[in-house]
Amino acid sequence: MKVDPVTLEVIRNALPAISNEMSYDLQRTSYNMMIYEVGDYCCALLDAQGNLLSQNLGGVSHFVADLAVVIKDGVEKIGLTNFQPGDVIIANHQAVCGQHLNNVCVYTPFFFKGELIGFPIIRAHWVDIGGMSTGFGAATNVLDPWMEGLQLDQLRIYKGGEPNTELLKVIADNIRYPEASMGDLRAQMAACQLGLRRLEELFTKFGRDVLLDSVKRIFADTEAKCRKVIEQIPDGVYEAESFMDTNGFQKDVPLRIKVKVTVSGSDMTIDLSGCDPQNKGPYNSRTLAGARVAYKALTMPLEPVNEGSFNALKLIVPEGNFMMAKYPAVMSGWSMPIPTVVDTILKALAPAIPDKIPAGHLGVLGGTIVFFGYDPQKKKNFIVQSIEGGGWGGRPFEDGASASVSICQGDVRNAPIENIELKCPVLVQERVLRQDSGGAGKFRGGLGLDSQVRNLVEGRWNLVQTGRRECPPWGLWGGKPGDVSDFLLRLPDQPEWQSVDVALYPVPTNSEVIVRTAGGGGWGNPLEREPEKVRMDVLEGFVSLEEARNEYGVALKPAGHPYFYEVDAEATKKLRAKRMKEG
Amino acid sequence: MALSIGLDIGGTFTDLIVFDEVTGELQQAKSSTTPKDLTIGILNCLKKSRFDMKECRNFVHGTTVAINTVIEGKGAKTALVTTRGTKDVYRIGRGNRPESYNIFFKRPEPLVFRHMTFEAPERLRASGETWKPLGEDEAEAVAREVLQVEPEAVAVCFLHSYVNPAHEARMGRALAKLLPFAYIALSHEILREYREYERTSTTVVNAYIGPKVTRYIDGLEKLLDSLGFSGSLLIMQSNGGVMSPEMAKRIPVAMMESGPVGGIIASAEIGKRLGHQNVIAFDMGGTTAKASLIKDGEASVAEGYHVGGYASGQPVMLPVVDVVEVGAGGGSIAWIDEVGGLKVGPQSAGGDPGPVCYDQGGEEPTITDANVILGRISPANFLGGEMPLNVAKARKAIEEKVAARLGLSVEETALGIIRIAVANMSYAVRGVSVEKGYDPREFVMVASGGAGPVHAMEIARELKIPKVVVPLFPAHFSALGMLMTDVKHDYVRTYYRPLAEADFKVIQGIYDEMALIGRETLRQERVEEESIRVQPFFDLRYIGQEFFLTVPVSVEEISSGDAGAIRLAFDALHDRRYGHKAAEEPIEIVNIRVTAYGVRKKISFPEKKALVESPAIKGFRDIYLDDPRNPVKCPVYSREALPSGYIVEGPAIIEEYASNTYLSYRDRATICPYGEISITVGGIE
Repeated sequence: MKVDPVTLEVIRNALPAISNEMSYDLQRTSYNMMIYEVGDYCCALLDAQGNLLSQNLGGVSHFVADLAVVIKDGVEKIGLTNFQPGDVIIANHQAVCGQHLNNVCVYTPFFFKGELIGFPIIRAHWVDIGGMSTGFGAATNVLDPWMEGLQLDQLRIYKGGEPNTELLKVIADNIRYPEASMGDLRAQMAACQLGLRRLEELFTKFGRDVLLDSVKRIFADTEAKCRKVIEQIPDGVYEAESFMDTNGFQKDVPLRIKVKVTVSGSDMTIDLSGCDPQNKGPYNSRTLAGARVAYKALTMPLEPVNEGSFNALKLIVPEGNFMMAKYPAVMSGWSMPIPTVVDTILKALAPAIPDKIPAGHLGVLGGTIVFFGYDPQKKKNFIVQSIEGGGWGGRPFEDGASASVSICQGDVRNAPIENIELKCPVLVQERVLRQDSGGAGKFRGGLGLDSQVRNLVEGRWNLVQTGRRECPPWGLWGGKPGDVSDFLLRLPDQPEWQSVDVALYPVPTNSEVIVRTAGGGGWGNPLEREPEKVRMDVLEGFVSLEEARNEYGVALKPAGHPYFYEVDAEATKKLRAKRMKEG
Repeated sequence: MALSIGLDIGGTFTDLIVFDEVTGELQQAKSSTTPKDLTIGILNCLKKSRFDMKECRNFVHGTTVAINTVIEGKGAKTALVTTRGTKDVYRIGRGNRPESYNIFFKRPEPLVFRHMTFEAPERLRASGETWKPLGEDEAEAVAREVLQVEPEAVAVCFLHSYVNPAHEARMGRALAKLLPFAYIALSHEILREYREYERTSTTVVNAYIGPKVTRYIDGLEKLLDSLGFSGSLLIMQSNGGVMSPEMAKRIPVAMMESGPVGGIIASAEIGKRLGHQNVIAFDMGGTTAKASLIKDGEASVAEGYHVGGYASGQPVMLPVVDVVEVGAGGGSIAWIDEVGGLKVGPQSAGGDPGPVCYDQGGEEPTITDANVILGRISPANFLGGEMPLNVAKARKAIEEKVAARLGLSVEETALGIIRIAVANMSYAVRGVSVEKGYDPREFVMVASGGAGPVHAMEIARELKIPKVVVPLFPAHFSALGMLMTDVKHDYVRTYYRPLAEADFKVIQGIYDEMALIGRETLRQERVEEESIRVQPFFDLRYIGQEFFLTVPVSVEEISSGDAGAIRLAFDALHDRRYGHKAAEEPIEIVNIRVTAYGVRKKISFPEKKALVESPAIKGFRDIYLDDPRNPVKCPVYSREALPSGYIVEGPAIIEEYASNTYLSYRDRATICPYGEISITVGGIE
């Protein structure tokens, strides 16, 4: 049956509208900042075979993958004919779900006229799932999945509309903030119900056959659009390599990320076989996210996602790779290397499409502020949580953005200082852009930031290095690397700041911490940057006078006003000629 | 004679509505907007309509000067003063990237240079206690630094000034002393709500547009003065109310989004007059369609918005009438994407060159062209016949650019374009109703904008809205709505506490203070005591949630500390909005809000003559309803000729000067006593 183009277009817009409405509902009613502020969730519709019909936009990008395996596994374990209306299934088991256990999937079967068509599903970060999973997730020093928390393997918490109260009690009894997580569960179920109602309306209006035929065509159209973009990339094999500070298990062995991208006509293959194997550290996962985020960014960054978005992408991640780890493996830090994986894939393609690839960005999931303890004045426990952005790489046509979250995070917002201080006994003394942290380049890298926090009661800090303290965001085409990220601590009796790498670290009152995020790499030779732009950067304080001279070869002189400079054209010319000669 | 005048400046046209309070007569005039000096366009418009400004008692004005200043980046050279350690809060913002996969995303463009941002050596705690005091001399020292960069405007936003404004006030005095020429905006005078980035941005926007808006209003006052006007001038705000010119100069940021508001207020008022408290206001113009929800006679209000869109826009945390907008207007372009899919909008041909049928050089087929081909818009009677439309060109454009590539006939394509546009517009209506937990079947749709009445019945059918009202002057509805507004001011104060631990004596104090400021402000705006109404609200949420709901409370509930009633109201609203509630869980207060209204006398229209004889049908025209092969001969009526009580059965067209009501099968229109067309939408059980 051929669907007319008008009906097709109406259905094409209707499917993403459902996932976006589910997302709106979930975000506004969730109980933990990982959902409402960080957007660490996804809402999607999948058919019974695990094909992605639509997914919400915004939120955390690396959720663009890995839902199909959950549905396929659920169908296999429960049996296609055993689902009934009113079922709610919960799953986070690492062997299949492949992420840290805080990411809990909840889904419900959608029946139309008695036939199982598919599932609305929501994967969302619970604030606690038992074990050591509190807050952003289990610490990276856990030894196995059981220390991470509860594993739920395709369990029906509702069966035919009837709650399994005993199972729900087991879950509630074994997590730290049952009110919050049960609240999130309620929000997830309500959003799935909403998805069911909207699907029912849509199927009733257009009929099963028209809808399913349209979906096929929508997948094909999306694939065709992606192919048209990939076709523009010259055929070839493109490789790149990068490193994280450690492999997560051995402190002195870096994690190696090696990618091979093959473009042939409109086909793209991303081969991640060169990446390190799994180990006993926390960076393991089972995910296609790294390659998919990169592919999505290259092809249709602003369009809704569906199964067709990745049909033209061939992905090689062999079993035993740290991104396809065999169970059991620790996955508490599963997402930490992903932004660097994405960035490395982009870097590989820089020679092929130089005008479409920026220099390296902060490469980590932000600088995290995590401090918790007991507030004697309010007589209750508190936790400070915020994710601070860093610099993005210079672009082929303009400077990189400053203080923004990574490629794996979308609409993730930092916590306002006033919000933090209303809730917790700390003082945020500074949140500032760091001068000279952006890599020098014809187009400068964006700046990283320093957030400085003083705790006004004793408590514990989580200051676990994010894996890029020694591996800065790279420059491209002669651009310089950005400044690295770090955690600094100063105890009340200490004069100096110390770089630290500690978890759950107890500190006395009036200790101070700096959460430092990296600056982006520079794009192009800094000696080619327009001197006027360098003058502006110095005036604005993004670049120091010394760096202007040393990195950009621009000499500035005061212009009769305490804040203003002018370019010394003669001196700049000489300086640049000299630098060019030095190479 | 006593006249009320509504004057609305839009992107393309300046619209004037004059209402004679004695005879009930309405006149309208239109002239081109003159972007360089808006008052020229105003004067042209005033000259066009022949009346004496001396007779005018009320002059209500809506203008785009505030928002255009931001969008065009033509505001004042602005400096910013912040708390020590936070000069970059304004640049860092929330660090988010709403376009997740876009590696070339745009951050909001700051309106203040970093070298014009200064830190004051002061610090408060969240409780309002002083951590580091700000001395007079220190404030002066900062002001001297500010003076060196010679700003035209200065914004001041200190941490926690929403609870204790003393330091900000001190800084403001020092600046006023040393920079008497500068426009100064203090955050606590604009909003007293926590979240420093959003408050800073709001204050910066206010300072940035302050000098220009002040000059503009001064110019307007002078112009009106010279014409002998001695009535009261009122300025339209984003929150659906009006304010005095003095307030508009102090808080110009409050008028940023006033553009679509007039029509929404008018929809609420027309709804009320016809006995409908629950209304969906739908407006479709040249480039976009907008929807908003009116519940119990009140337009829904959002607590803030982003100028220029959420992804890369400037946040402004002031109440704004909640509008959902989609890129579908008469000028929206139909096109084929790279894989052969039919798309409509969001690109628009606008008014210049406009749709192909305007014959002004437009080459891309639009929604209007589709309507002309289908006979739903008359090529001969467009704008009362002032502008004949070129059907042949419209056909050719649709044929070549769309139909041929889809293998469809021109009529099939035209119907398809309308269907897609209707589906897209119904998302805007869903956005304000279904998605907020309201069932559109319980609402009446008031359709305005030149293109609104052509499509309204199709959208209503899609969402099962049983009734549509087409008001008088649908194409001048915004200006008309300005004559139906109240003076309105909003106040907010963060008070963060679990409801169970709330000290209602303290809340009463906060409420009394805000109510007093509200009453005082209204009195200064010459509002009579008996017209003043004050409504408190609490922002509430379950403990642990981040997003709150704004719940109206009564003064009695505050004075008697009736937490139970307040909690029930919150649970009920949460259930409606999101489909679930948690009656066992503790809730917390985030903010206390107060809205102070100065209720104004509304204009009323003369009754239409009752039915005397059957009005002459203007003629018959071939119209494509849903069959692209067989047009149906439909009667065409002239709206002016239709008497009260007359019933028009669809399919039919009712034409008027700048709009067109299209009725399909089983749509049934009745002319109301005051001239509105009330339509029972067909095909809904």
